[in-house]
Amino acid sequence: MTHLSESEFVDLAGEALDPRRAAHVEACASCREQADALRAMLRETASVAVPEPSPLFWDHLSARVRDAVAAAPAPDRSGWSWPHLGILIPMSAAAAVVVAVISGTLLLRTVRNGQAPVMLVPEHAVATASSDQKTGATPDADNAEVWDVLTSAASTVGFDEAHAVGMHVHPAAIDDAVRDLSAAELTELGRLLQSELKRSSN
Amino acid sequence: MLTTRAWSWTGEPGYKVTVTNPTDAELVESCLAGRREAFDLLVERHQRHVYQLCYRFVGNREDASDLTQDVFIRAYRGLRKFRGQASLGTWLYRIGVNVCLNRVATKTPRPDALDPLLAASDERIAATEEGADAAVLRSERAGQVRAAIARLPRKQRATLILRVYHELPHEAIAGILGSSVGAVKANFFHALNNLKKLLQEPGMDPGADQ
Repeated sequence: MTHLSESEFVDLAGEALDPRRAAHVEACASCREQADALRAMLRETASVAVPEPSPLFWDHLSARVRDAVAAAPAPDRSGWSWPHLGILIPMSAAAAVVVAVISGTLLLRTVRNGQAPVMLVPEHAVATASSDQKTGATPDADNAEVWDVLTSAASTVGFDEAHAVGMHVHPAAIDDAVRDLSAAELTELGRLLQSELKRSSN
Repeated sequence: MLTTRAWSWTGEPGYKVTVTNPTDAELVESCLAGRREAFDLLVERHQRHVYQLCYRFVGNREDASDLTQDVFIRAYRGLRKFRGQASLGTWLYRIGVNVCLNRVATKTPRPDALDPLLAASDERIAATEEGADAAVLRSERAGQVRAAIARLPRKQRATLILRVYHELPHEAIAGILGSSVGAVKANFFHALNNLKKLLQEPGMDPGADQ
Protein backbone atom coordinates (compact mmCIF):
# COMPACT_ATOMS: atom_id res chain seq x y z
CA MET A 1 0.00 0.00 0.00
CA THR A 2 1.29 3.49 -0.83
CA HIS A 3 2.40 5.91 1.83
CA LEU A 4 0.04 8.66 2.94
CA SER A 5 -0.05 11.84 0.88
CA GLU A 6 0.34 15.29 2.42
CA SER A 7 -3.40 15.75 2.28
CA GLU A 8 -3.99 12.40 3.97
CA PHE A 9 -1.59 13.26 6.80
CA VAL A 10 -3.64 16.39 7.41
CA ASP A 11 -6.85 14.38 7.37
CA LEU A 12 -5.29 11.89 9.78
CA ALA A 13 -4.38 14.70 12.20
CA GLY A 14 -7.95 15.95 11.96
CA GLU A 15 -9.31 12.43 12.43
CA ALA A 16 -10.98 12.61 9.05
CA LEU A 17 -8.98 9.99 7.20
CA ASP A 18 -10.62 6.95 5.71
CA PRO A 19 -10.14 4.07 8.21
CA ARG A 20 -8.62 1.83 5.54
CA ARG A 21 -5.90 4.42 4.90
CA ALA A 22 -5.51 5.09 8.61
CA ALA A 23 -4.81 1.36 9.07
CA HIS A 24 -1.76 1.76 6.85
CA VAL A 25 -0.16 4.08 9.42
CA GLU A 26 -0.25 1.31 12.01
CA ALA A 27 1.72 -0.96 9.70
CA CYS A 28 4.13 1.62 8.24
CA ALA A 29 6.89 2.93 10.52
CA SER A 30 7.74 5.78 8.17
CA CYS A 31 4.19 7.10 7.98
CA ARG A 32 3.70 6.58 11.72
CA GLU A 33 6.79 8.64 12.51
CA GLN A 34 5.67 11.42 10.18
CA ALA A 35 2.15 11.37 11.62
CA ASP A 36 3.43 11.52 15.21
CA ALA A 37 5.70 14.47 14.40
CA LEU A 38 2.84 16.30 12.73
CA ARG A 39 0.50 15.74 15.67
CA ALA A 40 3.16 16.87 18.15
CA MET A 41 3.83 20.06 16.22
CA LEU A 42 0.11 20.69 15.95
CA ARG A 43 -0.34 20.27 19.72
CA GLU A 44 2.50 22.63 20.52
CA THR A 45 1.34 25.25 18.04
CA ALA A 46 -2.21 25.13 19.33
CA SER A 47 -1.03 25.63 22.92
CA VAL A 48 0.40 29.07 22.15
CA ALA A 49 -2.17 31.67 23.06
CA VAL A 50 -2.31 35.33 22.12
CA PRO A 51 -1.26 37.30 25.21
CA GLU A 52 -4.42 38.68 26.73
CA PRO A 53 -4.36 42.47 26.82
CA SER A 54 -5.74 44.40 29.78
CA PRO A 55 -9.53 44.66 30.00
CA LEU A 56 -9.30 48.35 29.16
CA PHE A 57 -7.59 47.49 25.89
CA TRP A 58 -10.85 46.37 24.28
CA ASP A 59 -12.68 49.56 25.23
CA HIS A 60 -9.78 51.56 23.89
CA LEU A 61 -9.72 49.57 20.66
CA SER A 62 -13.51 49.92 20.21
CA ALA A 63 -13.28 53.68 20.71
CA ARG A 64 -10.39 53.93 18.31
CA VAL A 65 -12.20 51.96 15.63
CA ARG A 66 -15.41 53.95 16.26
CA ASP A 67 -13.59 57.23 15.72
CA ALA A 68 -11.91 55.95 12.57
CA VAL A 69 -15.19 54.63 11.18
CA ALA A 70 -16.93 57.91 12.00
CA ALA A 71 -14.39 59.68 9.83
CA ALA A 72 -14.90 57.21 6.96
CA PRO A 73 -17.53 57.76 4.25
CA ALA A 74 -20.79 55.91 4.82
CA PRO A 75 -21.24 52.62 2.97
CA ASP A 76 -23.08 53.04 -0.29
CA ARG A 77 -26.39 51.22 -0.41
CA SER A 78 -27.04 51.63 -4.10
CA GLY A 79 -24.49 49.13 -5.29
CA TRP A 80 -22.92 51.70 -7.59
CA SER A 81 -19.58 53.20 -6.90
CA TRP A 82 -17.13 55.46 -8.68
CA PRO A 83 -15.28 52.62 -10.36
CA HIS A 84 -18.56 51.64 -12.02
CA LEU A 85 -19.16 55.20 -13.10
CA GLY A 86 -15.73 55.20 -14.61
CA ILE A 87 -16.95 52.56 -17.01
CA LEU A 88 -20.32 54.19 -17.53
CA ILE A 89 -18.94 57.55 -18.60
CA PRO A 90 -17.25 56.31 -21.80
CA MET A 91 -20.12 53.92 -22.42
CA SER A 92 -22.72 56.70 -22.22
CA ALA A 93 -20.48 58.99 -24.23
CA ALA A 94 -20.21 56.36 -26.92
CA ALA A 95 -23.97 55.87 -26.86
CA ALA A 96 -24.49 59.60 -27.22
CA VAL A 97 -22.21 59.83 -30.21
CA VAL A 98 -23.74 56.78 -31.83
CA VAL A 99 -27.13 58.41 -31.44
CA ALA A 100 -25.71 61.56 -32.94
CA VAL A 101 -24.15 59.74 -35.89
CA ILE A 102 -27.33 57.82 -36.63
CA SER A 103 -29.28 61.04 -36.31
CA GLY A 104 -27.01 62.61 -38.84
CA THR A 105 -27.54 59.72 -41.21
CA LEU A 106 -31.29 60.16 -41.05
CA LEU A 107 -31.04 63.89 -41.38
CA LEU A 108 -28.84 63.78 -44.45
CA ARG A 109 -31.01 61.13 -46.03
CA THR A 110 -34.13 63.24 -45.68
CA VAL A 111 -32.35 66.35 -46.93
CA ARG A 112 -30.90 64.42 -49.89
CA ASN A 113 -34.41 63.27 -50.80
CA GLY A 114 -35.58 66.86 -50.82
CA GLN A 115 -37.74 66.44 -47.76
CA ALA A 116 -37.78 68.41 -44.58
CA PRO A 117 -36.91 66.38 -41.49
CA VAL A 118 -40.11 64.86 -40.13
CA MET A 119 -40.92 65.34 -36.45
CA LEU A 120 -42.35 62.09 -35.21
CA VAL A 121 -43.09 63.22 -31.70
CA PRO A 122 -45.22 65.95 -30.21
CA GLU A 123 -43.59 69.29 -29.48
CA HIS A 124 -43.72 68.89 -25.69
CA ALA A 125 -41.76 65.65 -25.87
CA VAL A 126 -38.81 67.19 -27.64
CA ALA A 127 -35.61 67.11 -25.67
CA THR A 128 -34.36 70.49 -24.53
CA ALA A 129 -30.90 71.82 -25.01
CA SER A 130 -29.20 74.58 -23.08
CA SER A 131 -29.62 78.08 -24.40
CA ASP A 132 -25.98 78.55 -25.31
CA GLN A 133 -26.07 75.43 -27.45
CA LYS A 134 -29.08 76.79 -29.30
CA THR A 135 -27.35 80.07 -29.96
CA GLY A 136 -24.54 78.33 -31.74
CA ALA A 137 -21.76 78.18 -29.17
CA THR A 138 -19.38 75.50 -30.24
CA PRO A 139 -19.25 72.38 -28.10
CA ASP A 140 -15.48 72.51 -28.33
CA ALA A 141 -15.38 75.87 -26.72
CA ASP A 142 -17.71 74.95 -23.89
CA ASN A 143 -16.79 71.39 -23.14
CA ALA A 144 -13.67 70.57 -25.02
CA GLU A 145 -12.73 67.74 -22.70
CA VAL A 146 -16.16 66.12 -22.80
CA TRP A 147 -16.29 66.54 -26.54
CA ASP A 148 -12.91 64.88 -26.87
CA VAL A 149 -14.23 61.93 -24.90
CA LEU A 150 -17.29 61.76 -27.11
CA THR A 151 -15.41 61.89 -30.35
CA SER A 152 -12.74 59.46 -29.24
CA ALA A 153 -15.44 57.07 -28.06
CA ALA A 154 -17.19 57.39 -31.40
CA SER A 155 -14.01 56.54 -33.20
CA THR A 156 -13.82 53.17 -31.53
CA VAL A 157 -17.47 52.14 -31.14
CA GLY A 158 -19.38 51.09 -34.20
CA PHE A 159 -23.14 50.90 -34.55
CA ASP A 160 -23.19 47.12 -34.50
CA GLU A 161 -21.15 47.04 -31.33
CA ALA A 162 -23.37 49.64 -29.73
CA HIS A 163 -26.47 47.74 -30.78
CA ALA A 164 -24.98 44.51 -29.44
CA VAL A 165 -24.66 46.01 -25.97
CA GLY A 166 -28.23 47.22 -25.96
CA MET A 167 -27.96 50.78 -27.22
CA HIS A 168 -31.13 50.74 -29.28
CA VAL A 169 -32.26 54.05 -30.74
CA HIS A 170 -35.85 54.84 -31.63
CA PRO A 171 -36.21 57.00 -34.75
CA ALA A 172 -38.37 59.47 -32.82
CA ALA A 173 -35.65 59.90 -30.25
CA ILE A 174 -33.16 60.53 -33.02
CA ASP A 175 -35.33 63.24 -34.51
CA ASP A 176 -35.65 64.76 -31.07
CA ALA A 177 -31.93 64.91 -30.67
CA VAL A 178 -31.27 66.36 -34.11
CA ARG A 179 -33.93 69.02 -33.87
CA ASP A 180 -32.18 70.93 -31.12
CA LEU A 181 -28.64 70.75 -32.47
CA SER A 182 -26.96 74.07 -33.07
CA ALA A 183 -25.22 74.90 -36.30
CA ALA A 184 -21.85 74.12 -34.79
CA GLU A 185 -23.10 70.81 -33.46
CA LEU A 186 -24.53 69.92 -36.85
CA THR A 187 -21.16 70.73 -38.42
CA GLU A 188 -19.42 68.48 -35.95
CA LEU A 189 -22.03 65.80 -36.54
CA GLY A 190 -21.39 65.98 -40.23
CA ARG A 191 -17.67 65.60 -39.63
CA LEU A 192 -18.25 62.59 -37.41
CA LEU A 193 -20.61 61.12 -39.95
CA GLN A 194 -18.08 61.51 -42.72
CA SER A 195 -15.35 59.86 -40.71
CA GLU A 196 -17.75 57.07 -39.75
CA LEU A 197 -18.74 56.52 -43.39
CA LYS A 198 -15.07 56.57 -44.40
CA ARG A 199 -14.26 54.02 -41.74
CA SER A 200 -17.17 51.81 -42.82
CA SER A 201 -16.10 51.89 -46.44
CA ASN A 202 -12.53 50.83 -45.59
CA MET B 1 -17.00 41.89 24.99
CA LEU B 2 -20.64 42.63 24.33
CA THR B 3 -22.30 39.96 22.28
CA THR B 4 -25.86 40.58 23.40
CA ARG B 5 -27.54 43.92 23.67
CA ALA B 6 -30.87 45.56 23.03
CA TRP B 7 -30.46 47.71 19.98
CA SER B 8 -32.95 50.50 19.45
CA TRP B 9 -33.47 53.52 17.27
CA THR B 10 -36.26 55.91 16.39
CA GLY B 11 -37.77 54.88 13.10
CA GLU B 12 -40.29 56.54 10.84
CA PRO B 13 -42.64 58.13 11.71
CA GLY B 14 -41.26 58.46 15.22
CA TYR B 15 -41.75 54.90 16.47
CA LYS B 16 -39.03 53.54 18.68
CA VAL B 17 -37.79 50.24 17.30
CA THR B 18 -36.05 47.85 19.66
CA VAL B 19 -34.33 44.62 18.72
CA THR B 20 -33.01 42.42 21.49
CA ASN B 21 -29.83 40.54 20.71
CA PRO B 22 -29.80 41.51 17.03
CA THR B 23 -28.15 39.18 14.57
CA ASP B 24 -25.15 40.30 12.55
CA ALA B 25 -27.39 40.48 9.49
CA GLU B 26 -29.81 42.80 11.27
CA LEU B 27 -26.98 45.04 12.37
CA VAL B 28 -25.60 45.15 8.86
CA GLU B 29 -29.04 46.13 7.57
CA SER B 30 -29.29 48.87 10.20
CA CYS B 31 -25.88 50.12 9.32
CA LEU B 32 -26.71 50.25 5.62
CA ALA B 33 -29.88 52.13 6.48
CA GLY B 34 -27.70 54.86 7.92
CA ARG B 35 -27.52 53.89 11.60
CA ARG B 36 -23.78 53.99 12.06
CA GLU B 37 -24.05 53.02 15.73
CA ALA B 38 -25.05 49.53 14.61
CA PHE B 39 -21.53 49.09 13.35
CA ASP B 40 -20.20 49.80 16.85
CA LEU B 41 -21.99 46.68 18.04
CA LEU B 42 -20.47 44.65 15.24
CA VAL B 43 -17.04 45.92 16.22
CA GLU B 44 -17.59 45.03 19.86
CA ARG B 45 -18.81 41.61 18.83
CA HIS B 46 -15.96 40.72 16.47
CA GLN B 47 -12.98 42.81 17.53
CA ARG B 48 -11.43 40.12 19.70
CA HIS B 49 -11.31 37.54 16.91
CA VAL B 50 -10.09 40.07 14.36
CA TYR B 51 -7.42 41.35 16.74
CA GLN B 52 -6.25 37.81 17.50
CA LEU B 53 -6.05 37.02 13.80
CA CYS B 54 -3.96 40.14 13.20
CA TYR B 55 -1.79 39.46 16.24
CA ARG B 56 -1.04 35.96 14.94
CA PHE B 57 0.23 37.48 11.72
CA VAL B 58 2.35 40.29 13.07
CA GLY B 59 3.10 39.09 16.60
CA ASN B 60 2.87 42.44 18.32
CA ARG B 61 0.10 44.42 19.92
CA GLU B 62 0.74 47.76 18.27
CA ASP B 63 0.63 46.50 14.69
CA ALA B 64 -2.24 44.17 15.51
CA SER B 65 -4.28 47.13 16.80
CA ASP B 66 -3.52 49.15 13.66
CA LEU B 67 -4.48 46.24 11.44
CA THR B 68 -7.67 45.58 13.38
CA GLN B 69 -8.71 49.17 12.86
CA ASP B 70 -7.89 48.88 9.17
CA VAL B 71 -9.97 45.71 8.84
CA PHE B 72 -13.04 47.34 10.37
CA ILE B 73 -12.72 50.49 8.28
CA ARG B 74 -12.50 48.39 5.13
CA ALA B 75 -15.43 46.31 6.29
CA TYR B 76 -17.50 49.42 6.97
CA ARG B 77 -16.72 51.00 3.63
CA GLY B 78 -17.45 47.77 1.79
CA LEU B 79 -20.42 46.68 3.87
CA ARG B 80 -22.76 46.63 0.90
CA LYS B 81 -20.58 43.88 -0.58
CA PHE B 82 -21.44 41.61 2.29
CA ARG B 83 -24.17 39.41 0.83
CA GLY B 84 -24.62 37.09 3.75
CA GLN B 85 -23.60 33.87 1.98
CA ALA B 86 -20.87 33.42 4.56
CA SER B 87 -21.05 34.54 8.16
CA LEU B 88 -19.95 38.07 8.91
CA GLY B 89 -17.11 36.58 10.94
CA THR B 90 -15.78 34.67 7.93
CA TRP B 91 -16.15 37.77 5.78
CA LEU B 92 -14.13 39.75 8.33
CA TYR B 93 -11.51 37.00 8.38
CA ARG B 94 -11.24 37.30 4.62
CA ILE B 95 -10.64 41.05 4.88
CA GLY B 96 -8.31 40.49 7.81
CA VAL B 97 -6.18 37.94 5.98
CA ASN B 98 -5.84 40.26 2.97
CA VAL B 99 -4.94 43.21 5.14
CA CYS B 100 -2.41 41.15 7.10
CA LEU B 101 -0.83 39.55 4.04
CA ASN B 102 -0.41 42.97 2.47
CA ARG B 103 1.17 44.28 5.66
CA VAL B 104 3.63 41.45 6.12
CA ALA B 105 4.61 41.77 2.48
CA THR B 106 5.77 45.32 3.10
CA LYS B 107 6.90 45.21 6.71
CA THR B 108 8.77 42.51 8.59
CA PRO B 109 6.83 41.50 11.70
CA ARG B 110 8.40 42.40 15.03
CA PRO B 111 7.03 39.79 17.42
CA ASP B 112 6.16 40.92 20.92
CA ALA B 113 8.03 37.89 22.28
CA LEU B 114 11.03 40.19 22.17
CA ASP B 115 9.15 42.61 24.38
CA PRO B 116 10.27 41.87 27.96
CA LEU B 117 7.15 43.46 29.47
CA LEU B 118 4.88 41.16 27.53
CA ALA B 119 7.01 38.12 28.26
CA ALA B 120 6.86 39.03 31.94
CA SER B 121 3.08 39.27 31.65
CA ASP B 122 2.94 35.77 30.18
CA GLU B 123 5.15 34.51 32.99
CA ARG B 124 2.94 36.01 35.69
CA ILE B 125 -0.11 34.29 34.27
CA ALA B 126 1.65 30.96 33.86
CA ALA B 127 3.34 31.11 37.26
CA THR B 128 0.00 30.94 39.02
CA GLU B 129 -0.46 27.38 37.82
CA GLU B 130 3.07 26.01 37.62
CA GLY B 131 6.54 26.57 39.00
CA ALA B 132 8.34 29.78 38.13
CA ASP B 133 11.07 28.05 36.11
CA ALA B 134 8.60 26.04 34.11
CA ALA B 135 6.57 29.19 33.51
CA VAL B 136 9.62 31.03 32.19
CA LEU B 137 10.48 28.16 29.86
CA ARG B 138 6.92 27.89 28.66
CA SER B 139 6.68 31.59 27.99
CA GLU B 140 9.99 31.59 26.19
CA ARG B 141 8.94 28.67 24.04
CA ALA B 142 5.63 30.35 23.21
CA GLY B 143 7.55 33.37 22.00
CA GLN B 144 9.73 31.17 19.83
CA VAL B 145 6.73 29.47 18.29
CA ARG B 146 5.20 32.86 17.51
CA ALA B 147 8.46 34.02 15.98
CA ALA B 148 8.70 30.84 13.91
CA ILE B 149 5.12 31.28 12.67
CA ALA B 150 6.03 34.81 11.62
CA ARG B 151 8.81 33.36 9.44
CA LEU B 152 6.56 30.98 7.52
CA PRO B 153 5.71 31.74 3.90
CA ARG B 154 2.58 33.89 3.74
CA LYS B 155 0.04 31.33 2.58
CA GLN B 156 1.36 28.68 4.94
CA ARG B 157 1.14 31.16 7.78
CA ALA B 158 -2.41 32.19 6.87
CA THR B 159 -3.50 28.57 6.58
CA LEU B 160 -1.93 27.59 9.89
CA ILE B 161 -3.46 30.54 11.73
CA LEU B 162 -6.94 30.06 10.34
CA ARG B 163 -6.89 26.30 10.88
CA VAL B 164 -5.23 26.00 14.27
CA TYR B 165 -6.29 29.15 16.08
CA HIS B 166 -9.60 29.98 14.45
CA GLU B 167 -10.57 26.38 13.75
CA LEU B 168 -11.95 27.13 10.31
CA PRO B 169 -12.67 24.12 8.09
CA HIS B 170 -10.41 23.60 5.10
CA GLU B 171 -13.21 24.61 2.74
CA ALA B 172 -13.66 27.99 4.45
CA ILE B 173 -9.92 28.61 4.39
CA ALA B 174 -9.86 27.75 0.69
CA GLY B 175 -12.60 30.32 0.12
CA ILE B 176 -10.75 33.00 2.06
CA LEU B 177 -7.41 32.39 0.41
CA GLY B 178 -8.79 31.72 -3.04
CA SER B 179 -7.18 28.29 -3.11
CA SER B 180 -8.38 24.73 -3.55
CA VAL B 181 -8.99 22.51 -0.54
CA GLY B 182 -6.08 20.35 -1.67
CA ALA B 183 -3.78 23.37 -1.72
CA VAL B 184 -4.94 24.35 1.76
CA LYS B 185 -4.14 20.90 3.11
CA ALA B 186 -0.74 20.88 1.41
CA ASN B 187 0.03 24.33 2.83
CA PHE B 188 -1.01 23.18 6.28
CA PHE B 189 1.20 20.10 6.04
CA HIS B 190 4.22 22.14 4.94
CA ALA B 191 3.53 24.84 7.53
CA LEU B 192 3.75 22.31 10.36
CA ASN B 193 6.86 20.67 8.89
CA ASN B 194 8.57 24.02 8.38
CA LEU B 195 7.62 25.12 11.86
CA LYS B 196 9.29 22.03 13.25
CA LYS B 197 12.46 22.75 11.28
CA LEU B 198 12.51 26.41 12.35
CA LEU B 199 12.12 25.47 16.00
CA GLN B 200 15.03 23.06 15.69
CA GLU B 201 17.39 25.80 14.58
CA PRO B 202 20.13 26.67 17.09
CA GLY B 203 18.89 29.02 19.78
CA MET B 204 15.24 28.23 19.14
CA ASP B 205 14.89 25.29 21.52
CA PRO B 206 15.17 26.44 25.14
CA GLY B 207 16.17 22.93 26.20
CA ALA B 208 18.85 22.56 23.52
CA ASP B 209 21.50 24.61 25.25
CA GLN B 210 21.07 22.97 28.59
